Amino acid sequence: MDKRENKKSQFLGHYRGLVQAGATLLTNVYLPNFLKGGIYQGKGKAVCVPGLNCYSCPAASGACPIGAFQSVVGSSKFSFSYYITGFLILMGVLLGRFICGFLCPFGWLQDLLNKIPCKKLSTKKLKPLTYVKYIVLALTVILLPALVVNDLGMGDPFFCKYICPQGVLEGAIPLAAVDVGIRAALGTLFTRKLIILIVVVVLSILFYRPFCKWICPLGAFYALMNKVSLLGIEVDGHKCISCGKCARVCKMDVDVTKSPNNGECIRCGKCVNACPTDAVSFRYGFGKEKEI
Amino acid sequence: MKMKMRAKKVFALAMAALMIFALAACGVKDDVSAGTSADDAKNLDDAVKIYKELMDEENKILSENQELWEKVFAAADKRDMTLQEDGKNYGDFLMDTIEAAKDSFSADELKTLKEGAKRISEIENELTKLEEEYPEVREKAIDSAMDASGDGSMSVPADSDNVDVSKAQKFPAFDGKDFDGNKVNSDKLFSKNKVTVVNFWFTTCKPCVEELKELEALNKELAKKGGQVVGVNAFTLDGDKQAIADAQDVLGKKGVTYKNIWFKSDSKAGEFTTGMYSFPTTYVVDQKGNIVGKPISGGITSDEQKKALNALIDQALESSK
Repeated sequence: MDKRENKKSQFLGHYRGLVQAGATLLTNVYLPNFLKGGIYQGKGKAVCVPGLNCYSCPAASGACPIGAFQSVVGSSKFSFSYYITGFLILMGVLLGRFICGFLCPFGWLQDLLNKIPCKKLSTKKLKPLTYVKYIVLALTVILLPALVVNDLGMGDPFFCKYICPQGVLEGAIPLAAVDVGIRAALGTLFTRKLIILIVVVVLSILFYRPFCKWICPLGAFYALMNKVSLLGIEVDGHKCISCGKCARVCKMDVDVTKSPNNGECIRCGKCVNACPTDAVSFRYGFGKEKEI
Repeated sequence: MKMKMRAKKVFALAMAALMIFALAACGVKDDVSAGTSADDAKNLDDAVKIYKELMDEENKILSENQELWEKVFAAADKRDMTLQEDGKNYGDFLMDTIEAAKDSFSADELKTLKEGAKRISEIENELTKLEEEYPEVREKAIDSAMDASGDGSMSVPADSDNVDVSKAQKFPAFDGKDFDGNKVNSDKLFSKNKVTVVNFWFTTCKPCVEELKELEALNKELAKKGGQVVGVNAFTLDGDKQAIADAQDVLGKKGVTYKNIWFKSDSKAGEFTTGMYSFPTTYVVDQKGNIVGKPISGGITSDEQKKALNALIDQALESSK
């Protein structure tokens, strides 16, 4: 028998960076479009990607679930987006915030930015801010696009239009770089969102994943689903020696021994690898019967 | 905003440079002897120099009476004459065109034109002779003319049709229908208007729908100037009945009366539309069916965008005169 009992869980945690890079590449596979200008508009765009990734990124292979949700809710033809809601619930049940930790390109970007060496600040005291993302979800993704409409019942995608820094980074900047027409159309809206992007980038260097913790509506949705997700983390009470290493190593401010399915947990696996007695491991399925 | 300012500055600089070159081309080189001949060339360098002088002289003839020559070019356009057809001498071609359109010129004008055409014919013969003797002379002469553009001696090779027509991009051709089922052909549509504003939109696009009223007003305004606004709804390609009904519903609610058209998605214009990724986008097309300037991306409801659109429309009206 192997010395470490949760080998697969450990493995997952160790190779997270590779999985993130791979997922980002698959999510944005049409790389030549960055030079050519234009965006991929094929059948892939009828499907959502799991993470936060702008539809208008020249290389994007699918649609952003948050963008798609708003555009359907805000359109005059439909009042609610069953397809995207279904997709989000499915993803939430299958993986939960594992998507944030492993598959989301914007999460990976913040991870990388946080690797830039400088004094890191703790977000523990800023816990109340984690509730802001639920407000962002309810307000800018669901309510405003559906309710603030013109005479024909058309709403704006408020989150995409006014907040999303990923849209500026992946959509506006690369498209404006190669397209004169789009460059000419850039106005105050672009400037304001560019400032948001810069703030998020700077904060990401100082704090760990500030956007995921406080703002991201997709993270908020998956956070709600974390409680019922098939993928989870569990702590074996018999092995746990209450050393507290797992809580100290957690950058999302979660104490996994107290709440293994906390909405803030992005399943990054740091606690799994930190546990001296292998008491913490990923699980997949219902309840406790299956351990990987 | 900053980007825009910079683009404007670069544009202004480029225009200024262009004007200087244009003026310089009119004013200098009076010393070019009318007797420059291919026989004077003793080596390639000589040949290049003479070639350049001849080109300059030809350009001078054309630029001195630019307005007159433009009439000739217009006549050539009407007669659908192209140079490449038979590869014949450019001067002779001009002469033929002048003959054919002689009713539209006064006696004095005819004399000037014919003299010019005769000299150009001679120059072209000399140029051809040089080209036969030194095959690379043309390329070298053009290259060195470009290098020397700084001192104002830039010249355009006069033996191609880019003397009169700038490298314009044609709006992709189509045979489509309007929402009432009437056939619409791109050539006929563009040639009957002095300017055609083509607005690409789709039914569920909010900024597209919000500019419809402005476009309707623009259409009324253009009607007085011999122009027209035409809408292309990307959802209605291939004549999708439901999509047309949806689009008509929106158009009706916004009080739009101008023509909306659809065409096959596998037609040139169809591929042009499906390849588009920013909506609304508005193109300005002149009477010859050429796209004027760069398309306007985004709604035309803002003052800046409206200004840009009006500038393109004026440009189209100017080129359709």
